[in-house]
Amino acid sequence: MKSRAYLLMTIPAIALFFIFHTYPALQGIFYSFTNWRGYGDFDYVGFKNYINVLRDDRALSAYLFTFKFAIVSTILVNVFSLTVAIGLNSKIKFRKTLRAIYFLPNILSIVIVGFIFNFIFTHFIPNFAEDLGINALTQNILGNPDLAWVGVVIVAVWQAVAFNTILYLAGLITISDDLYEAASIDGAGIWHKFWRITFPLIAPFFTINMVLAMKNFLMVFDHIVALTGGGPGQSTESISLLIYRGGFQGGEFAYQSANAVVYFIVIVAISVFQIRVLQRREVEM
Amino acid sequence: MKLKVKRFFTGALTSILSIGLLVGCADGGDKNEGAGGKTELELFSNKSESIDTLKKLISKFEEQNPDVKIKLNAPPEAETVLKTRLTKNDLPELLAIGGNATYGELARAGVFANFEGTEMLNNIQPAYVEMLNRLVGPEKEGVFGVPYATNANAVIYNKDMFEELGVTVPTTWDEFISVLDKIQASGQTPIYFTLKDAWTALIPWNSVAANVQPENFAQKKNNAETTFKESYPEVADKMLQLLNYGHKDNFGVGYGDGNTAFAKGGSAIYLQGNWAIPEIKKANPDINLGVFPMPVTNTPDNNNLVSGVDVLLTMREDMQDNEQARKFIEFMINEENATQYTSEQKAFSAVQGVFQEEPEFEGIRKNFEEGRLTSFPDHYYPAGMGAENLIQDFLLKKDAGKFLDKMDQEWNKAINR
Repeated sequence: MKSRAYLLMTIPAIALFFIFHTYPALQGIFYSFTNWRGYGDFDYVGFKNYINVLRDDRALSAYLFTFKFAIVSTILVNVFSLTVAIGLNSKIKFRKTLRAIYFLPNILSIVIVGFIFNFIFTHFIPNFAEDLGINALTQNILGNPDLAWVGVVIVAVWQAVAFNTILYLAGLITISDDLYEAASIDGAGIWHKFWRITFPLIAPFFTINMVLAMKNFLMVFDHIVALTGGGPGQSTESISLLIYRGGFQGGEFAYQSANAVVYFIVIVAISVFQIRVLQRREVEM
Repeated sequence: MKLKVKRFFTGALTSILSIGLLVGCADGGDKNEGAGGKTELELFSNKSESIDTLKKLISKFEEQNPDVKIKLNAPPEAETVLKTRLTKNDLPELLAIGGNATYGELARAGVFANFEGTEMLNNIQPAYVEMLNRLVGPEKEGVFGVPYATNANAVIYNKDMFEELGVTVPTTWDEFISVLDKIQASGQTPIYFTLKDAWTALIPWNSVAANVQPENFAQKKNNAETTFKESYPEVADKMLQLLNYGHKDNFGVGYGDGNTAFAKGGSAIYLQGNWAIPEIKKANPDINLGVFPMPVTNTPDNNNLVSGVDVLLTMREDMQDNEQARKFIEFMINEENATQYTSEQKAFSAVQGVFQEEPEFEGIRKNFEEGRLTSFPDHYYPAGMGAENLIQDFLLKKDAGKFLDKMDQEWNKAINR
């Protein structure tokens, strides 16, 4: 009886999820087999869109950019947020205030952060570099097709570290001080303590952080709209941006739906792979 | 226990039902009946620059027609918003949008009312009506918008700097290049490029291509009678030539910063449309500037000004017989209001007899009077190919052969989807 009540409690959530998520997703899959432009009439075209996606070098370069961006950003975010979290977990002054301050970037909207950094890259850094005579930095890096992605990485990492730090902090708090004391008695150094105690014990948090960060960065969109608009050329065009642009501006709704389905499968595969590999090295206390 | 279950069930049902109702409201709710028996019409505009002027005109209209309320909606990325709303079958009643490929696509899809044969078109310059018809193409009969404001894709120059250097407005390409050389030799920046925003590359591109490409290029390209590789090498060369006269960070500065830089004397020439002038004057109200059509060829009589329908007025298909919607469009195109729009927006009018009198447009007035105008080439490119980013990429890599091949490929891909 009780379990049935609990079951019924899930209905509103399931209904909402189905109406606003699953149903549109199924619609997208349906349209990917048509030549619908987003309005008007359409015909079924079978797998034509999928074949075209696989042959489209614009899509391919978007995939390459997105993966390069996501891998570099995921690694950097995890390194920085773990470092910050360890710092904020130690016994320092103003610990609570600092925790709040380090969380601030997460509250700001990405678009606003993007516009602020846009100003920094366009005016602040070049002017500063000119005064100091550093020639390499006197031009806006967002205008350089080889470096623009670095600018996007900087902004994305700066913004994302805040959230991942909170997750790592939650993990660090679960480790009992006894373990460190025991290790100290045995003569372990800081480095040793980190690799033998801290890191293995927060492994579940490491897994979730890696998966979440990777998934978020693979779907990067706002940063790019605010910073480069996909340029210069198409050098920072991510897959989400390509789908949005082509689908809604270019009248290629069905074609980009096919692209989105392919991308969905890729993201699921990567997430499953990550969880499998990373969970293998988690330990239980 | 049983009661509880029942309650849960009703709760769940209620929430599902209310969601259904909400969705129903969004779709079927009759928005046209506003409060107090007023008819509410939404006016969708794609120009954030014209919000103030439109608001003034709307309140004037509402005073004259107390039974109508016009709700102005001018979102950013308006074209995308419009297409997204179209997918949801939620088009606004009235639209003030640009005459470009998107308009052509939507008109072909049959979502706009047909103005053919109505009085509203009587007082409109036929050249612009013709321009709209070409965007729609021969497959759909009718006129699906009333051309309202038009623009000029031109060269803006700093009169004071020209005078100091002793150069005059060029009328041929060779003269243009020698003016640029002179400015560069004086140590000043000739052209302030703003190529961080890819679309700004389209301004010189359109000026050059419109005067160089074969007639009906887009149609021929679609019929595989010509290619970019065949028709555009001169355009590509001239683009690269112009790029030599930029500043030190051509790709690092965007449109907004460029307006300010030019306003403060950062360069003698700025390749933009008339729409940039109010923004430039905001940054420096005292700037003494002029405008001339880019002299693309060496025969002055062949150099036409690129001008397009910047704003056209149209209404949703089912508004065809709606009295109030029609009244609003008639109100907008009456001479007094069209003059107000034109002078406040520094635009040109498609309404006959309404001219832009500002002295700074002296240099292109003759083109309007004599009809030496040509339309924007890129408005006929398929929207899906993303030409602006390809051009931006070309200006960075400077490989004309590869670029023209790429343009051909992307065009073919876009029309085969």
